[in-house]
Amino acid sequence: MSHALAEVDDIPVTLVIAIAYGTLAVVTGMLPEAEDFHVRLAHFGMLIPAAAAAGEPWRLVAHAFLHGNILHLLVNLASFIAIGPALERSLGSVRFAALYLVSALGGGLAVCLWTPMTPVVGGSGALFGMTGALVAVNMRSGRHLFAFLDFEGPRRVLGLIVVNLLIGLLIPIISNTAHVGGLITGFVVTFLWLRPGTQSPALRHWRIATAALFASVLLWSLFPVTRFDWLLLRAAATADPERSADLQRAGQLALTLTVEPESPEELDPPRPR
Amino acid sequence: MTAGPPMRARASLRHVPLLLVWLCAAFPVVLWLVHAADPELAVRIAHGTGRALTTCAWVLGGTIAVALLLFPPAAAWLRRAGSRTWLALTMDHGPLNRAISELRHFETGARHAEIGRLLRLRRQTEAAWQHLSRAVEMDPGVASAWHQLGLVAFAQHEWQLAANAFDRAEALEPGHAFGDAALHLGRCLYELGDARALDVLRAHQQRHGGGPRSHLWLADALQRAGDTAGAIAALHEAAAPPRTRLTAEENWFRALARVRLWRKRGHP
Repeated sequence: MSHALAEVDDIPVTLVIAIAYGTLAVVTGMLPEAEDFHVRLAHFGMLIPAAAAAGEPWRLVAHAFLHGNILHLLVNLASFIAIGPALERSLGSVRFAALYLVSALGGGLAVCLWTPMTPVVGGSGALFGMTGALVAVNMRSGRHLFAFLDFEGPRRVLGLIVVNLLIGLLIPIISNTAHVGGLITGFVVTFLWLRPGTQSPALRHWRIATAALFASVLLWSLFPVTRFDWLLLRAAATADPERSADLQRAGQLALTLTVEPESPEELDPPRPR
Repeated sequence: MTAGPPMRARASLRHVPLLLVWLCAAFPVVLWLVHAADPELAVRIAHGTGRALTTCAWVLGGTIAVALLLFPPAAAWLRRAGSRTWLALTMDHGPLNRAISELRHFETGARHAEIGRLLRLRRQTEAAWQHLSRAVEMDPGVASAWHQLGLVAFAQHEWQLAANAFDRAEALEPGHAFGDAALHLGRCLYELGDARALDVLRAHQQRHGGGPRSHLWLADALQRAGDTAGAIAALHEAAAPPRTRLTAEENWFRALARVRLWRKRGHP
Protein backbone atom coordinates (compact mmCIF):
# COMPACT_ATOMS: atom_id res chain seq x y z
CA MET A 1 0.00 0.00 0.00
CA SER A 2 2.73 2.43 1.02
CA HIS A 3 4.71 1.43 -2.08
CA ALA A 4 1.69 2.19 -4.27
CA LEU A 5 1.23 5.52 -2.51
CA ALA A 6 4.90 6.35 -3.10
CA GLU A 7 4.41 5.54 -6.80
CA VAL A 8 1.37 7.79 -6.96
CA ASP A 9 3.35 10.51 -5.21
CA ASP A 10 5.69 10.61 -8.20
CA ILE A 11 2.95 11.75 -10.59
CA PRO A 12 3.62 15.38 -11.59
CA VAL A 13 0.19 16.71 -10.62
CA THR A 14 0.98 20.27 -11.70
CA LEU A 15 1.63 19.04 -15.22
CA VAL A 16 -1.49 16.85 -15.18
CA ILE A 17 -3.71 19.75 -14.13
CA ALA A 18 -2.10 22.09 -16.67
CA ILE A 19 -2.77 19.52 -19.41
CA ALA A 20 -6.35 19.21 -18.13
CA TYR A 21 -6.75 22.98 -18.45
CA GLY A 22 -5.61 22.88 -22.07
CA THR A 23 -7.55 19.75 -23.01
CA LEU A 24 -10.79 21.06 -21.56
CA ALA A 25 -10.23 24.39 -23.34
CA VAL A 26 -10.22 22.44 -26.62
CA VAL A 27 -13.08 20.13 -25.67
CA THR A 28 -15.34 22.97 -24.55
CA GLY A 29 -14.72 24.76 -27.82
CA MET A 30 -12.63 27.67 -26.58
CA LEU A 31 -9.73 26.85 -28.91
CA PRO A 32 -10.90 27.70 -31.55
CA GLU A 33 -13.99 29.39 -30.11
CA ALA A 34 -17.11 27.48 -31.05
CA GLU A 35 -20.55 29.00 -31.39
CA ASP A 36 -21.95 26.88 -28.58
CA PHE A 37 -18.93 27.50 -26.30
CA HIS A 38 -20.98 28.75 -23.35
CA VAL A 39 -23.46 25.91 -23.70
CA ARG A 40 -20.56 23.47 -23.59
CA LEU A 41 -19.10 25.25 -20.57
CA ALA A 42 -22.40 24.80 -18.77
CA HIS A 43 -22.51 21.18 -19.86
CA PHE A 44 -18.94 20.40 -18.75
CA GLY A 45 -19.18 21.81 -15.27
CA MET A 46 -19.61 25.57 -14.98
CA LEU A 47 -20.54 26.22 -11.37
CA ILE A 48 -24.24 27.11 -11.35
CA PRO A 49 -25.22 26.98 -7.65
CA ALA A 50 -28.83 26.13 -8.47
CA ALA A 51 -27.70 23.21 -10.62
CA ALA A 52 -25.24 22.03 -7.96
CA ALA A 53 -28.12 21.98 -5.48
CA ALA A 54 -30.37 20.19 -7.97
CA GLY A 55 -28.34 17.00 -8.13
CA GLU A 56 -25.11 18.02 -9.89
CA PRO A 57 -22.64 18.41 -7.00
CA TRP A 58 -19.63 17.65 -9.21
CA ARG A 59 -19.92 21.22 -10.52
CA LEU A 60 -18.49 22.41 -7.18
CA VAL A 61 -15.10 21.02 -8.26
CA ALA A 62 -15.36 20.70 -12.04
CA HIS A 63 -15.59 24.45 -12.59
CA ALA A 64 -11.97 24.78 -11.45
CA PHE A 65 -10.75 23.07 -14.64
CA LEU A 66 -12.71 25.24 -17.09
CA HIS A 67 -12.03 28.77 -18.30
CA GLY A 68 -14.11 31.51 -19.87
CA ASN A 69 -11.72 32.78 -22.55
CA ILE A 70 -8.13 32.52 -23.73
CA LEU A 71 -6.86 35.35 -21.54
CA HIS A 72 -8.47 33.76 -18.50
CA LEU A 73 -6.85 30.44 -19.36
CA LEU A 74 -3.41 31.92 -19.97
CA VAL A 75 -3.36 34.00 -16.79
CA ASN A 76 -4.44 31.06 -14.64
CA LEU A 77 -2.11 28.64 -16.40
CA ALA A 78 0.87 30.97 -15.96
CA SER A 79 0.05 31.52 -12.29
CA PHE A 80 -0.44 27.81 -11.73
CA ILE A 81 2.86 26.90 -13.37
CA ALA A 82 4.59 29.61 -11.30
CA ILE A 83 3.19 28.43 -7.97
CA GLY A 84 2.48 24.73 -8.48
CA PRO A 85 5.85 22.95 -8.86
CA ALA A 86 7.45 24.40 -5.70
CA LEU A 87 4.38 23.72 -3.63
CA GLU A 88 4.05 20.23 -5.06
CA ARG A 89 7.67 19.46 -4.13
CA SER A 90 7.02 20.78 -0.65
CA LEU A 91 3.79 18.89 0.04
CA GLY A 92 4.06 15.82 -2.20
CA SER A 93 1.90 15.07 -5.22
CA VAL A 94 -1.00 13.36 -3.47
CA ARG A 95 -1.39 16.12 -0.91
CA PHE A 96 -0.98 18.75 -3.60
CA ALA A 97 -3.75 17.19 -5.69
CA ALA A 98 -5.98 16.98 -2.60
CA LEU A 99 -5.22 20.61 -1.82
CA TYR A 100 -6.15 21.71 -5.35
CA LEU A 101 -9.46 19.84 -5.25
CA VAL A 102 -10.38 20.96 -1.73
CA SER A 103 -9.48 24.58 -2.53
CA ALA A 104 -11.62 24.43 -5.65
CA LEU A 105 -14.44 23.00 -3.55
CA GLY A 106 -13.93 25.75 -0.96
CA GLY A 107 -14.16 28.43 -3.66
CA GLY A 108 -17.30 26.77 -5.04
CA LEU A 109 -18.90 26.59 -1.60
CA ALA A 110 -18.19 30.28 -1.01
CA VAL A 111 -19.95 31.11 -4.29
CA CYS A 112 -22.95 28.97 -3.29
CA LEU A 113 -23.02 30.66 0.11
CA TRP A 114 -22.60 34.34 -0.82
CA THR A 115 -23.39 34.82 -4.52
CA PRO A 116 -25.69 31.91 -5.40
CA MET A 117 -27.11 33.66 -8.47
CA THR A 118 -23.69 34.00 -10.14
CA PRO A 119 -22.38 31.23 -12.41
CA VAL A 120 -18.61 30.78 -12.13
CA VAL A 121 -15.80 29.09 -14.09
CA GLY A 122 -12.04 29.10 -13.64
CA GLY A 123 -9.28 27.68 -11.54
CA SER A 124 -8.48 30.93 -9.78
CA GLY A 125 -10.28 29.92 -6.57
CA ALA A 126 -8.04 26.87 -6.39
CA LEU A 127 -5.03 29.04 -7.32
CA PHE A 128 -5.80 31.32 -4.42
CA GLY A 129 -5.93 28.15 -2.34
CA MET A 130 -2.37 27.42 -3.52
CA THR A 131 -1.20 30.87 -2.42
CA GLY A 132 -2.98 30.42 0.92
CA ALA A 133 -1.16 27.11 1.23
CA LEU A 134 2.16 28.83 0.52
CA VAL A 135 1.50 31.26 3.35
CA ALA A 136 0.54 28.39 5.66
CA VAL A 137 3.66 26.40 4.76
CA ASN A 138 5.80 29.45 5.49
CA MET A 139 4.03 30.09 8.79
CA ARG A 140 4.53 26.47 9.83
CA SER A 141 8.18 26.38 8.78
CA GLY A 142 9.53 29.33 10.73
CA ARG A 143 10.70 29.80 14.29
CA HIS A 144 7.27 31.20 15.00
CA LEU A 145 4.11 31.92 13.03
CA PHE A 146 5.22 35.28 11.66
CA ALA A 147 8.95 34.66 11.29
CA PHE A 148 8.42 34.33 7.53
CA LEU A 149 7.79 38.07 7.32
CA ASP A 150 11.54 38.53 7.71
CA PHE A 151 12.04 37.15 4.21
CA GLU A 152 11.43 38.83 0.87
CA GLY A 153 9.89 35.84 -0.95
CA PRO A 154 7.03 35.11 1.45
CA ARG A 155 6.34 38.84 1.76
CA ARG A 156 5.92 38.93 -2.03
CA VAL A 157 3.36 36.12 -1.82
CA LEU A 158 1.32 38.24 0.58
CA GLY A 159 1.64 41.20 -1.79
CA LEU A 160 0.53 38.98 -4.68
CA ILE A 161 -2.59 37.96 -2.74
CA VAL A 162 -3.48 41.57 -1.88
CA VAL A 163 -2.95 42.79 -5.46
CA ASN A 164 -5.06 39.99 -6.92
CA LEU A 165 -7.87 40.60 -4.43
CA LEU A 166 -7.81 44.29 -5.38
CA ILE A 167 -7.97 43.39 -9.05
CA GLY A 168 -10.95 41.17 -8.23
CA LEU A 169 -12.64 44.09 -6.50
CA LEU A 170 -12.05 46.46 -9.39
CA ILE A 171 -13.16 44.17 -12.23
CA PRO A 172 -16.83 43.24 -11.76
CA ILE A 173 -16.82 40.04 -13.81
CA ILE A 174 -14.21 38.46 -11.51
CA SER A 175 -15.69 36.44 -8.66
CA ASN A 176 -13.73 37.55 -5.62
CA THR A 177 -16.02 35.37 -3.52
CA ALA A 178 -14.49 32.27 -5.08
CA HIS A 179 -11.02 33.75 -4.60
CA VAL A 180 -11.55 34.42 -0.91
CA GLY A 181 -13.22 31.03 -0.39
CA GLY A 182 -10.33 29.24 -2.09
CA LEU A 183 -7.74 31.31 -0.23
CA ILE A 184 -9.21 30.57 3.19
CA THR A 185 -9.73 26.90 2.39
CA GLY A 186 -6.19 26.43 1.07
CA PHE A 187 -4.70 28.20 4.05
CA VAL A 188 -6.74 26.36 6.66
CA VAL A 189 -6.32 22.93 5.07
CA THR A 190 -2.55 23.34 4.81
CA PHE A 191 -2.14 24.95 8.20
CA LEU A 192 -4.18 22.38 10.09
CA TRP A 193 -3.86 19.22 8.06
CA LEU A 194 -0.98 19.06 5.61
CA ARG A 195 2.03 20.01 7.71
CA PRO A 196 3.01 17.55 10.41
CA GLY A 197 4.12 19.32 13.56
CA THR A 198 3.39 19.36 17.25
CA GLN A 199 0.13 17.45 17.70
CA SER A 200 -1.37 19.56 20.43
CA PRO A 201 -4.92 19.01 21.70
CA ALA A 202 -5.81 22.49 20.44
CA LEU A 203 -4.78 21.52 16.90
CA ARG A 204 -6.95 18.40 17.14
CA HIS A 205 -9.94 20.48 18.29
CA TRP A 206 -9.47 22.92 15.43
CA ARG A 207 -9.18 20.11 12.91
CA ILE A 208 -12.46 18.58 14.03
CA ALA A 209 -14.25 21.93 14.17
CA THR A 210 -13.11 23.08 10.73
CA ALA A 211 -13.93 19.71 9.18
CA ALA A 212 -17.41 19.95 10.70
CA LEU A 213 -17.81 23.49 9.36
CA PHE A 214 -16.71 22.43 5.88
CA ALA A 215 -19.12 19.47 5.89
CA SER A 216 -21.89 21.70 7.15
CA VAL A 217 -21.37 24.32 4.42
CA LEU A 218 -21.25 21.52 1.86
CA LEU A 219 -24.58 20.25 3.19
CA TRP A 220 -26.04 23.73 2.92
CA SER A 221 -24.76 24.16 -0.64
CA LEU A 222 -26.36 20.91 -1.73
CA PHE A 223 -29.56 21.55 0.25
CA PRO A 224 -29.89 25.35 0.51
CA VAL A 225 -33.13 25.12 2.45
CA THR A 226 -33.62 28.88 2.77
CA ARG A 227 -32.84 29.87 -0.84
CA PHE A 228 -35.91 30.81 -2.87
CA ASP A 229 -34.78 29.17 -6.13
CA TRP A 230 -34.19 25.82 -4.44
CA LEU A 231 -37.46 26.01 -2.48
CA LEU A 232 -39.52 26.86 -5.57
CA LEU A 233 -37.86 24.12 -7.61
CA ARG A 234 -38.53 21.60 -4.84
CA ALA A 235 -42.11 22.79 -4.61
CA ALA A 236 -42.55 22.08 -8.30
CA ALA A 237 -40.85 18.70 -8.08
CA THR A 238 -42.63 17.37 -4.97
CA ALA A 239 -45.56 15.05 -5.57
CA ASP A 240 -47.16 15.66 -2.14
CA PRO A 241 -49.49 18.68 -2.62
CA GLU A 242 -49.38 19.73 1.05
CA ARG A 243 -45.57 19.68 1.14
CA SER A 244 -45.47 21.45 -2.19
CA ALA A 245 -47.68 24.24 -0.81
CA ASP A 246 -45.43 24.59 2.25
CA LEU A 247 -42.33 24.81 0.07
CA GLN A 248 -44.05 27.28 -2.26
CA ARG A 249 -44.92 29.57 0.64
CA ALA A 250 -41.40 29.33 2.06
CA GLY A 251 -39.90 30.03 -1.37
CA GLN A 252 -42.03 33.10 -1.88
CA LEU A 253 -41.19 34.33 1.61
CA ALA A 254 -37.47 33.84 0.91
CA LEU A 255 -37.85 35.69 -2.39
CA THR A 256 -39.62 38.58 -0.67
CA LEU A 257 -36.99 38.78 2.05
CA THR A 258 -34.14 38.57 -0.44
CA VAL A 259 -35.46 41.15 -2.87
CA GLU A 260 -36.92 43.72 -0.47
CA PRO A 261 -35.75 42.95 3.04
CA GLU A 262 -36.44 46.51 4.24
CA SER A 263 -40.22 46.51 3.67
CA PRO A 264 -41.86 45.06 6.80
CA GLU A 265 -45.35 45.14 5.29
CA GLU A 266 -44.19 42.70 2.63
CA LEU A 267 -42.81 40.16 5.08
CA ASP A 268 -46.02 38.14 5.15
CA PRO A 269 -45.87 35.61 2.36
CA PRO A 270 -48.55 35.53 -0.28
CA ARG A 271 -50.99 32.74 0.38
CA PRO A 272 -51.34 29.97 -2.18
CA ARG A 273 -54.37 29.93 -4.37
CA MET B 1 5.24 12.49 35.78
CA THR B 2 2.96 13.52 38.62
CA ALA B 3 -0.70 14.22 38.13
CA GLY B 4 -1.84 17.83 37.88
CA PRO B 5 -3.33 19.79 40.75
CA PRO B 6 -7.07 20.30 41.08
CA MET B 7 -6.94 23.08 38.49
CA ARG B 8 -10.01 25.21 38.12
CA ALA B 9 -11.76 25.24 34.81
CA ARG B 10 -11.59 28.91 33.87
CA ALA B 11 -13.43 30.54 31.06
CA SER B 12 -10.96 31.70 28.47
CA LEU B 13 -11.34 34.02 25.51
CA ARG B 14 -9.12 31.62 23.58
CA HIS B 15 -12.04 29.22 23.29
CA VAL B 16 -14.38 31.79 21.77
CA PRO B 17 -13.18 31.41 18.13
CA LEU B 18 -13.51 27.62 18.36
CA LEU B 19 -16.99 27.99 19.80
CA LEU B 20 -17.92 30.34 16.95
CA VAL B 21 -16.72 27.81 14.38
CA TRP B 22 -18.89 25.13 16.00
CA LEU B 23 -21.89 27.47 16.05
CA CYS B 24 -21.39 28.25 12.36
CA ALA B 25 -21.10 24.53 11.64
CA ALA B 26 -24.27 23.76 13.57
CA PHE B 27 -26.37 26.48 11.95
CA PRO B 28 -26.96 24.88 8.49
CA VAL B 29 -27.74 21.56 10.17
CA VAL B 30 -30.29 23.24 12.44
CA LEU B 31 -31.84 24.99 9.44
CA TRP B 32 -32.04 21.70 7.58
CA LEU B 33 -33.77 20.02 10.52
CA VAL B 34 -36.20 22.91 10.96
CA HIS B 35 -36.87 22.90 7.23
CA ALA B 36 -37.99 19.28 7.41
CA ALA B 37 -40.72 20.31 9.85
CA ASP B 38 -41.57 23.83 8.72
CA PRO B 39 -39.88 25.34 5.63
CA GLU B 40 -41.24 28.83 6.33
CA LEU B 41 -39.82 28.85 9.84
CA ALA B 42 -36.39 27.88 8.49
CA VAL B 43 -36.48 30.84 6.09
CA ARG B 44 -37.54 33.20 8.86
CA ILE B 45 -34.77 31.90 11.16
CA ALA B 46 -32.11 32.28 8.45
CA HIS B 47 -33.07 35.83 7.53
CA GLY B 48 -33.70 36.83 11.16
CA THR B 49 -30.27 35.53 12.14
CA GLY B 50 -28.65 37.46 9.31
CA ARG B 51 -30.29 40.67 10.46
CA ALA B 52 -29.51 39.96 14.13
CA LEU B 53 -25.85 39.38 13.29
CA THR B 54 -25.65 42.67 11.41
CA THR B 55 -27.26 44.48 14.34
CA CYS B 56 -24.96 42.69 16.80
CA ALA B 57 -21.89 43.76 14.84
CA TRP B 58 -22.97 47.40 15.02
CA VAL B 59 -23.87 47.15 18.72
CA LEU B 60 -20.57 45.44 19.50
CA GLY B 61 -18.60 48.10 17.67
CA GLY B 62 -20.52 50.83 19.47
CA THR B 63 -20.08 49.12 22.83
CA ILE B 64 -16.33 48.86 22.36
CA ALA B 65 -16.15 52.52 21.38
CA VAL B 66 -18.21 53.59 24.42
CA ALA B 67 -16.23 51.26 26.72
CA LEU B 68 -13.00 52.84 25.57
CA LEU B 69 -14.39 56.26 26.46
CA LEU B 70 -16.12 55.42 29.73
CA PHE B 71 -14.05 52.63 31.25
CA PRO B 72 -10.44 53.77 31.53
CA PRO B 73 -8.75 50.36 31.84
CA ALA B 74 -10.35 49.22 28.56
CA ALA B 75 -7.48 50.61 26.51
CA ALA B 76 -4.93 49.03 28.84
CA TRP B 77 -6.85 45.75 28.74
CA LEU B 78 -6.87 45.81 24.94
CA ARG B 79 -3.13 46.56 24.90
CA ARG B 80 -2.47 43.66 27.28
CA ALA B 81 -4.69 41.27 25.30
CA GLY B 82 -2.98 42.34 22.07
CA SER B 83 0.45 41.93 23.61
CA ARG B 84 -0.37 38.45 24.92
CA THR B 85 -1.81 37.39 21.58
CA TRP B 86 1.20 38.73 19.68
CA LEU B 87 3.55 36.97 22.12
CA ALA B 88 1.67 33.70 21.67
CA LEU B 89 1.78 34.01 17.89
CA THR B 90 5.41 35.04 17.59
CA MET B 91 6.95 32.82 20.24
CA ASP B 92 9.89 30.84 18.92
CA HIS B 93 8.90 27.18 19.16
CA GLY B 94 12.46 25.94 18.48
CA PRO B 95 13.63 25.85 22.12
CA LEU B 96 10.51 23.96 23.21
CA ASN B 97 10.83 21.37 20.44
CA ARG B 98 14.55 21.01 21.18
CA ALA B 99 13.99 20.58 24.92
CA ILE B 100 11.21 18.02 24.34
CA SER B 101 13.38 16.00 21.96
CA GLU B 102 16.31 16.15 24.40
CA LEU B 103 14.04 14.94 27.17
CA ARG B 104 13.42 11.73 25.24
CA HIS B 105 17.09 10.84 25.64
CA PHE B 106 18.02 12.29 29.03
CA GLU B 107 15.46 13.07 31.68
CA THR B 108 16.69 15.78 34.00
CA GLY B 109 14.99 18.20 36.31
CA ALA B 110 16.48 21.17 34.45
CA ARG B 111 14.97 20.02 31.15
CA HIS B 112 11.56 19.50 32.73
CA ALA B 113 11.81 22.96 34.29
CA GLU B 114 12.72 24.54 30.95
CA ILE B 115 9.86 22.78 29.14
CA GLY B 116 7.49 23.77 31.93
CA ARG B 117 8.59 27.40 31.68
CA LEU B 118 8.09 27.47 27.91
CA LEU B 119 4.71 25.75 28.16
CA ARG B 120 3.63 28.24 30.83
CA LEU B 121 4.50 31.10 28.50
CA ARG B 122 2.29 29.40 25.92
CA ARG B 123 -0.46 29.18 28.53
CA GLN B 124 -0.55 25.39 28.34
CA THR B 125 -0.91 25.31 32.10
CA GLU B 126 -1.75 21.68 32.69
CA ALA B 127 1.18 20.37 30.68
CA ALA B 128 3.41 23.01 32.29
CA TRP B 129 2.31 21.89 35.73
CA GLN B 130 3.17 18.27 34.98
CA HIS B 131 6.67 19.10 33.77
CA LEU B 132 7.38 21.55 36.58
CA SER B 133 6.14 19.24 39.31
CA ARG B 134 8.36 16.53 37.84
CA ALA B 135 11.25 19.00 37.82
CA VAL B 136 10.92 19.83 41.52
CA GLU B 137 10.44 16.15 42.29
CA MET B 138 13.71 15.25 40.56
CA ASP B 139 15.65 18.27 41.75
CA PRO B 140 13.97 20.03 44.68
CA GLY B 141 16.85 22.43 45.21
CA VAL B 142 16.23 24.59 42.14
CA ALA B 143 14.50 27.87 43.00
CA SER B 144 13.53 28.71 39.42
CA ALA B 145 11.50 25.50 39.05
CA TRP B 146 9.57 26.28 42.24
CA HIS B 147 9.07 29.83 41.03
CA GLN B 148 7.65 28.65 37.69
CA LEU B 149 5.47 26.10 39.47
CA GLY B 150 4.13 28.89 41.65
CA LEU B 151 3.36 31.05 38.61
CA VAL B 152 1.36 28.23 37.02
CA ALA B 153 -0.66 27.73 40.20
CA PHE B 154 -1.03 31.51 40.58
CA ALA B 155 -2.50 31.75 37.07
CA GLN B 156 -5.04 29.11 38.08
CA HIS B 157 -5.88 30.97 41.33
CA GLU B 158 -4.64 28.00 43.35
CA TRP B 159 -3.36 30.33 46.03
CA GLN B 160 -2.21 27.80 48.63
CA LEU B 161 -0.27 25.71 46.11
CA ALA B 162 1.25 28.86 44.67
CA ALA B 163 2.17 30.25 48.09
CA ASN B 164 3.94 27.01 49.02
CA ALA B 165 5.89 27.03 45.77
CA PHE B 166 6.93 30.71 46.05
CA ASP B 167 7.86 30.14 49.67
CA ARG B 168 10.18 27.32 48.67
CA ALA B 169 11.73 29.46 45.92
CA GLU B 170 12.35 32.30 48.37
CA ALA B 171 13.78 29.93 50.97
CA LEU B 172 16.18 28.44 48.44
CA GLU B 173 17.24 31.74 46.91
CA PRO B 174 16.09 34.92 48.68
CA GLY B 175 15.18 37.61 46.17
CA HIS B 176 14.81 35.05 43.40
CA ALA B 177 13.95 36.50 39.95
CA PHE B 178 14.51 40.07 41.15
CA GLY B 179 11.97 39.61 43.89
CA ASP B 180 9.20 38.24 41.68
CA ALA B 181 8.76 35.15 43.88
CA ALA B 182 8.46 37.33 46.99
CA LEU B 183 5.99 39.65 45.30
CA HIS B 184 3.78 36.76 44.22
CA LEU B 185 4.13 35.16 47.64
CA GLY B 186 2.79 38.36 49.18
CA ARG B 187 -0.15 38.42 46.81
CA CYS B 188 -0.95 34.74 47.46
CA LEU B 189 -0.93 35.38 51.20
CA TYR B 190 -3.24 38.35 50.64
CA GLU B 191 -5.65 36.20 48.64
CA LEU B 192 -5.54 33.58 51.40
CA GLY B 193 -6.34 36.25 54.02
CA ASP B 194 -3.00 35.74 55.73
CA ALA B 195 -1.86 38.75 57.80
CA ARG B 196 1.78 38.16 56.79
CA ALA B 197 0.97 39.44 53.30
CA LEU B 198 1.58 43.08 54.25
CA ASP B 199 4.98 42.32 55.77
CA VAL B 200 6.07 40.30 52.77
CA LEU B 201 4.97 42.99 50.30
CA ARG B 202 6.60 45.76 52.33
CA ALA B 203 9.83 43.78 52.56
CA HIS B 204 9.69 43.26 48.81
CA GLN B 205 9.27 47.01 48.24
CA GLN B 206 12.18 47.88 50.50
CA ARG B 207 14.46 45.37 48.90
CA HIS B 208 13.52 45.59 45.24
CA GLY B 209 11.65 48.86 44.79
CA GLY B 210 8.35 48.67 43.00
CA GLY B 211 6.36 49.10 39.85
CA PRO B 212 2.64 49.64 39.33
CA ARG B 213 1.84 46.01 40.13
CA SER B 214 3.73 45.80 43.42
CA HIS B 215 2.37 49.21 44.53
CA LEU B 216 -1.17 48.16 43.67
CA TRP B 217 -0.88 44.89 45.52
CA LEU B 218 0.65 46.69 48.49
CA ALA B 219 -2.28 49.14 48.41
CA ASP B 220 -4.70 46.19 48.59
CA ALA B 221 -2.88 44.76 51.60
CA LEU B 222 -2.74 48.15 53.34
CA GLN B 223 -6.44 48.72 52.74
CA ARG B 224 -7.26 45.37 54.26
CA ALA B 225 -5.06 46.19 57.25
CA GLY B 226 -7.09 49.39 57.76
CA ASP B 227 -4.39 51.83 56.63
CA THR B 228 -6.46 53.79 54.08
CA ALA B 229 -4.02 56.71 53.88
CA GLY B 230 -1.16 54.32 53.19
CA ALA B 231 -3.26 52.53 50.57
CA ILE B 232 -4.01 55.77 48.76
CA ALA B 233 -0.34 56.75 48.86
CA ALA B 234 0.55 53.37 47.35
CA LEU B 235 -2.13 53.83 44.69
CA HIS B 236 -0.62 57.21 43.81
CA GLU B 237 2.75 55.51 43.46
CA ALA B 238 1.20 52.85 41.22
CA ALA B 239 -0.59 55.42 39.08
CA ALA B 240 2.36 57.80 38.78
CA PRO B 241 3.45 58.60 35.21
CA PRO B 242 6.19 56.15 34.29
CA ARG B 243 9.69 57.33 33.45
CA THR B 244 9.99 54.76 30.71
CA ARG B 245 7.37 53.00 28.62
CA LEU B 246 5.72 50.31 30.72
CA THR B 247 5.17 46.78 29.52
CA ALA B 248 1.58 45.92 28.63
CA GLU B 249 1.24 43.89 31.85
CA GLU B 250 2.54 46.67 34.13
CA ASN B 251 0.48 49.24 32.23
CA TRP B 252 -2.64 47.21 33.07
CA PHE B 253 -1.90 47.49 36.80
CA ARG B 254 -1.25 51.22 36.45
CA ALA B 255 -4.63 51.62 34.72
CA LEU B 256 -6.30 49.70 37.56
CA ALA B 257 -4.61 51.95 40.12
CA ARG B 258 -5.79 55.08 38.29
CA VAL B 259 -9.37 53.81 38.28
CA ARG B 260 -9.20 52.96 41.98
CA LEU B 261 -7.92 56.47 42.73
CA TRP B 262 -10.67 57.99 40.60
CA ARG B 263 -13.28 55.98 42.50
CA LYS B 264 -11.81 57.01 45.85
CA ARG B 265 -12.05 60.73 45.10
CA GLY B 266 -13.93 62.25 48.01
CA HIS B 267 -13.78 58.97 49.92
CA PRO B 268 -10.31 58.95 51.47
